[in-house]
Amino acid sequence: MALKKLDVRGAKCPIPIVKAKKEMDTMAPGDQLEVTSTDPGSVPDFQGWVKTAKHALLKEQRMEKDEAGKDLYIHLLERT
Amino acid sequence: MADAPNETAEPQVPTVEVGALLPRLDRGEKVLLLDVRNDDEFETWKIEPHRPVETLHVPYFDFIEDAEASIAKIPKGRDVVVLCAQGGSSELVAGMLQEAGISSANVKGGMIAYGLYLEPVRVPLEAEAAARYELWQVNRRGKACLSYVVVSGEEAVVVDPSRHVEWYQGFVAERGARIVRVLDTHVHADHVSGGPALARALSVPYFVAAGKGFELKQPVTPLADGETIRLGGATGVSIEVRVLSTPGHTPGSTSFLVDRRHLLTGDTLFVASVGRPDLGGHVVEWGHALFDTLKRRLADLPGETRVLPAHYGGIGEISAEGVVWGRLADLRRTVPEMQIATADAFVAAVRGAVKEPPKAYAEIIQVNLGAAASEEKISEWELGKNQCAASAKKAAGA
Repeated sequence: MALKKLDVRGAKCPIPIVKAKKEMDTMAPGDQLEVTSTDPGSVPDFQGWVKTAKHALLKEQRMEKDEAGKDLYIHLLERT
Repeated sequence: MADAPNETAEPQVPTVEVGALLPRLDRGEKVLLLDVRNDDEFETWKIEPHRPVETLHVPYFDFIEDAEASIAKIPKGRDVVVLCAQGGSSELVAGMLQEAGISSANVKGGMIAYGLYLEPVRVPLEAEAAARYELWQVNRRGKACLSYVVVSGEEAVVVDPSRHVEWYQGFVAERGARIVRVLDTHVHADHVSGGPALARALSVPYFVAAGKGFELKQPVTPLADGETIRLGGATGVSIEVRVLSTPGHTPGSTSFLVDRRHLLTGDTLFVASVGRPDLGGHVVEWGHALFDTLKRRLADLPGETRVLPAHYGGIGEISAEGVVWGRLADLRRTVPEMQIATADAFVAAVRGAVKEPPKAYAEIIQVNLGAAASEEKISEWELGKNQCAASAKKAAGA
């Protein structure tokens, strides 16, 4: 099981989900993808997306700060 | 389109500006509004045209997950207008629909643009008054916030401006006048005032009264209760704007009586409710002050006085002329809180009726007192409609 990372800092919707979906499509079941976003709107949007997503589970969402103190929203997804 | 040259080779998706879309929806034009925001955003804040608009809600991530199934939900042969929070996701979806042969346009800037859009509505005046001044009610539709521009001769005052200060400068310049003073009725809790920035840009006096318990961190030119401001300049016409201290919603709340007949009440008195006195943690004290203002201070004003507030609760409060206003005599009779006879009963009623405080109101108050904040934060705080009335009498259509 691999863990991939996707950095979408600075991007606004729909980019985080467009890129995450694209990445997930290339992954094997059980693989995980960690998405790092600066867009607070990505939190409810990832929750909404996985409700209908056929091959994605949302394992965890957490907030961190970058070096400059800016909020980061981190989403851990699993390919099913 | 006079847009900047395309940097990408992607085909352009047709766009529509909020300012062009709203009048079409207000007239009842048959477009299908496709809202692609997430469920929460869609439930908590919607576009409110004067007439109902057929709306379909399919989140944009459904289009990303399964384009075909999502596009199949959109009826063929309709003019679709796609809306999201900021205009990015709706652009993606509008592009998908265009490719599928469905005529669609993207609402440029989405709900953010809707929340910033200002619609000036001219308040009808009697001929004698119209010869001396213009009174404009500027309706920030997305937030149901009202600001005012009073122009007499070559001079204008702006009351309760939103933070897009260039708009007011342009609007007054178009009328051949200059802004000589900027007034705020109170320290707003639901939106960031454009007052200080507008006054600074023009080097003109700015007024707000914060009142007891608040520390203003920016320069203000004080005005005393009962003082009058004369507008007109060297043109031979003039009017007076009288300052009336009307505490309650906040301890410093001030109303402005324009030409003895139009009372700009701020959040003191709305056309269907009164201002909530609970946003400072002193609901009893402020509630008593508000009762006193409504029952005593405003008692001297003639019933014919027109009340023009800083907010409205729903489109049912907009008159046939497009103006949110009411005769003071009518409001004394129809606003539920105005019927209450004693201060204690009044305080109990407004305490019991208040809703959730506005989002981030404590932060917004600090910015309006002079604290700094980033555009990004302000934009986030200002999302959604105002929550400034003590009660939300269900207005028709709201």
